[in-house]
Amino acid sequence: MVNGIVFDIREFSVHDGPGIRTTVFLKGCPLACRWCHNPESQSARPQVVTSPAGPRLAGTVYTPEELAGILNRQAAILKDNEGGITFSGGEPLTQAAFIARVIDLLDGLHVVIDTCGYGSEASFRLLLARADLVYYDLKLIDPALHRSFTGRSNRLILHNLRVMSECRTPFVIRVPLIPGVTDTDENLSAIAQLVSGLPGLIRVDLLPYNPAAGAKYAAIGRKFDPGYDEARPVNANLAVFQAAGVDARLT
Amino acid sequence: MDERLQRLKERVREGYYRQSRQTTGIDLLAECEREQLTWMQRSARLTRRQCEAERVVIEPDERIVFTRTLLEVPPIYSPEQEARLFSGRTMHELGPVNNICADWGMVLSQGLLRRREIAQESRARHAGDPEAAAFLDGAVETIDAVLGLAARYAAAARELGRADIAALLDQVPAGPARTFHEALQSLRILQAVVWLSGSYHVGLGRIDQYLEGYLRADLEAGRLNLASAEDLLAEFFISLNKDSDLYPGVQQGDNGQTITLGGVKPDGSPAVNELTRMALRISRDLAMIDPKVNLRISGDTGLDLLSLGAELTRKGLGFPQYSNDDVVIPGLAAHGYNLEDARDYVVAACWEFIIPGRGMEVVNIGAVSFPAAVDGALRAGPAAGDTFDGILSRVREGIAAQVNHLAGEYERLLLPPAPYYSILMDGCLEEGRDLSRGARYNNFGVHGSGSANAADALAAVRQFVFEERSLPLADLLEALDANFAGSEELRCRLADAGPKVGNDDERADSLLRWLFAAFADACEAYGRTGKGGILRPGTGSAMYYIWLAQGHPGMREPVVEATAEGRRKGEPLAANLAPSQGIRVQGPISVLQSFAKLDYRRICNGGPITLELSDSVFRDAEDIRKVAMLVRTFARLGCQQLQLNALNLEALLDARAYPERHKNLIVRVWGWSGYFCELSPEYQDQIIRRHMFQLA
Ligand code: SF4
Repeated sequence: MVNGIVFDIREFSVHDGPGIRTTVFLKGCPLACRWCHNPESQSARPQVVTSPAGPRLAGTVYTPEELAGILNRQAAILKDNEGGITFSGGEPLTQAAFIARVIDLLDGLHVVIDTCGYGSEASFRLLLARADLVYYDLKLIDPALHRSFTGRSNRLILHNLRVMSECRTPFVIRVPLIPGVTDTDENLSAIAQLVSGLPGLIRVDLLPYNPAAGAKYAAIGRKFDPGYDEARPVNANLAVFQAAGVDARLT
Repeated sequence: MDERLQRLKERVREGYYRQSRQTTGIDLLAECEREQLTWMQRSARLTRRQCEAERVVIEPDERIVFTRTLLEVPPIYSPEQEARLFSGRTMHELGPVNNICADWGMVLSQGLLRRREIAQESRARHAGDPEAAAFLDGAVETIDAVLGLAARYAAAARELGRADIAALLDQVPAGPARTFHEALQSLRILQAVVWLSGSYHVGLGRIDQYLEGYLRADLEAGRLNLASAEDLLAEFFISLNKDSDLYPGVQQGDNGQTITLGGVKPDGSPAVNELTRMALRISRDLAMIDPKVNLRISGDTGLDLLSLGAELTRKGLGFPQYSNDDVVIPGLAAHGYNLEDARDYVVAACWEFIIPGRGMEVVNIGAVSFPAAVDGALRAGPAAGDTFDGILSRVREGIAAQVNHLAGEYERLLLPPAPYYSILMDGCLEEGRDLSRGARYNNFGVHGSGSANAADALAAVRQFVFEERSLPLADLLEALDANFAGSEELRCRLADAGPKVGNDDERADSLLRWLFAAFADACEAYGRTGKGGILRPGTGSAMYYIWLAQGHPGMREPVVEATAEGRRKGEPLAANLAPSQGIRVQGPISVLQSFAKLDYRRICNGGPITLELSDSVFRDAEDIRKVAMLVRTFARLGCQQLQLNALNLEALLDARAYPERHKNLIVRVWGWSGYFCELSPEYQDQIIRRHMFQLA
């Protein structure tokens, strides 16, 4: 049976979907976004995080039964409060078989998948079949820029977007606003054009830049080198979405 | 909030009213000595002279008047005399009756003149009982003093051309209040005189119950609409902040001016009404320290009311504090409270459940230190062949010894007469008995402090010393004695590796439950106190979470050094019901699940589960609703009491560095909220540490 590696389980994560939910943060991500604020989520191996509060080993390996068992202990509470479980990361797609098994073992809980969309179509379909809602990140539409800021091509991401829409799984597009990178008018209107009218689209959330993005790098012995100007105010251009008839909001 | 209210609030925050204060107080001692007054007479004389010495302050835009101008409550005995009076006796805190709640509804509806008649009728009945007669004479003297004060305010108002104020004061507090406005004005003066008389932690109780009739009548008759009623209530709330810097407390803000909203009526029907919601809205919009809001809820309370509570929480004042009727009422009933009274409970200064008008309870005679009991048990037992059960039985003995010691001290409790407070209570006048001699309920409350630390310590000992056998008890004791010097690795193992309370982990939670059961057993075994009441065990810590770790002059409780859950000497214990400081938990649901396992029927002195949420959690209406659901979950899981704090770490750090920029930053400290910048540094640091952990 396939095991999973998780770097945190956080209860009452209010911004990861409807109701009271618990978010499972899976460890390991194929991208390496320059602005990643969870650098400990990128490697798929356990690693030591050091902080003034003392060292901590991030990365626990679970069998699907173990993780489902932990989550099911609060199933009644989560259901009572319109909530459920969100699988986030890192990147859930890299552990799709594990997550699919965990979801099958859950006690009928509402499931949100929070993904960057980078993975094989087969893995993605495993999750789409089981998700009630998907949070889907779109960062950059220009392939070259995408590669340069995340380390990977966006081809799979754009392909999986269409797959998701064809499956009619409801989804929310999330766009991290990175100053001078993703928040350009060109990029935002390209995103608006791309998602406009897609079946299943609920809305687009623009995520304001998190100035604490670099806070955790030192704790895992890395240097934060964003390659853009953190201090520059972001361009939260909602108008381009409006023009394309897309419900967008700044969260 | 309109401009007028804004101005009233600003004036309070700027300390504007201080300019009216008198620099010299009254000297009562010479008079008391000259006339050779008894203690009862001195107490009544104190209220009278304070009322007489008060100067009238009426600001042109005020609609509810009374501003305190006397800085102090003067002594009625010299220190030597006081020492003699209390020799061999126990003084509770500062001495005077405190931390109870009057039957405000009764006094507002009767008026002082009716209370005076009742006193005189009783005086006639008790003619042959000199003690009763002396008390009733004192009570009448205090009533006349308040009437005189109100008359002077009325006359001054008339002179200032404020016929509206004069008309109010012609009616109240002498007569029954007829309108919402009159009721608030009456309450303002009646309560202020309690403070002037030297009593403190003067709770206001269920204002949404006893004021609701006045409001409804005014709304129905068209004398008020919702907006004008809100104006009045807001002004009343603001007025409660005028004098609060003069009130005694451990830290400023710790003044016990609480209100208790919602819940059920004495007949069990739902008590939430328009005034409940209005009080929550006003408290949210004013964002001032007083009054401190308690909200009674149950598993069935609607999310709309809880959302209003969450909006108030977002203000970062540290309230409302929630009490769960589903648990509290059966708990009180199981402790001998009659059901109607139990349903009428209010929350005292911090969290203790008391009955307005009927309780002369001392809800905080001290704290049992669970960590000290565990420490003592470990130290008594490195002898060969010791078992974990052997340790537990010594912990049980240690807890009982602490309970017996505290209760023994309070067998010698001496409360000064309180003739004025007595007229505000049920039955004192009628029965000719001063409040200090007791009321219907005369129980003592004992805090149970450091419970999570102690449970974690026991869990670690069970696992490492007895199950894994990886740590000889003697080695553990040696490390504790050395405050973990040279054994940091062991300390980390104790702190991180074992089961912890707050993670819904039965290995630790079962020990927590066991500790409180042992505590409840000890209180039950003690039986009746000399005051005829029982001991109520509770889950609070008050300031003991620091005192028990660092010591405090004059405290009766034992101090504990380094402890077996990996806590270093001097580091604070967990406050109230919370996980030990510095341990990681998965989140608030697990914490609630851990504390839901306690048998609250046996522990009913109160003491909240303390949860801190970053203020970033509360962004929009949807988030507010989720916080409301979290509170509902607390109730549905069967927990007893909850204190929910919204904190902003940057604000706290900046406030420590630049206090002048953050004069209005309010934080919850233990049972109360205070201005962060006015707290002493160790409390500031403790709050910051608590917060940093939460973000880690
Ligand atoms: S996709 Fe998310 S987790 Fe992965 S590198 Fe980018 S920001 Fe980090």
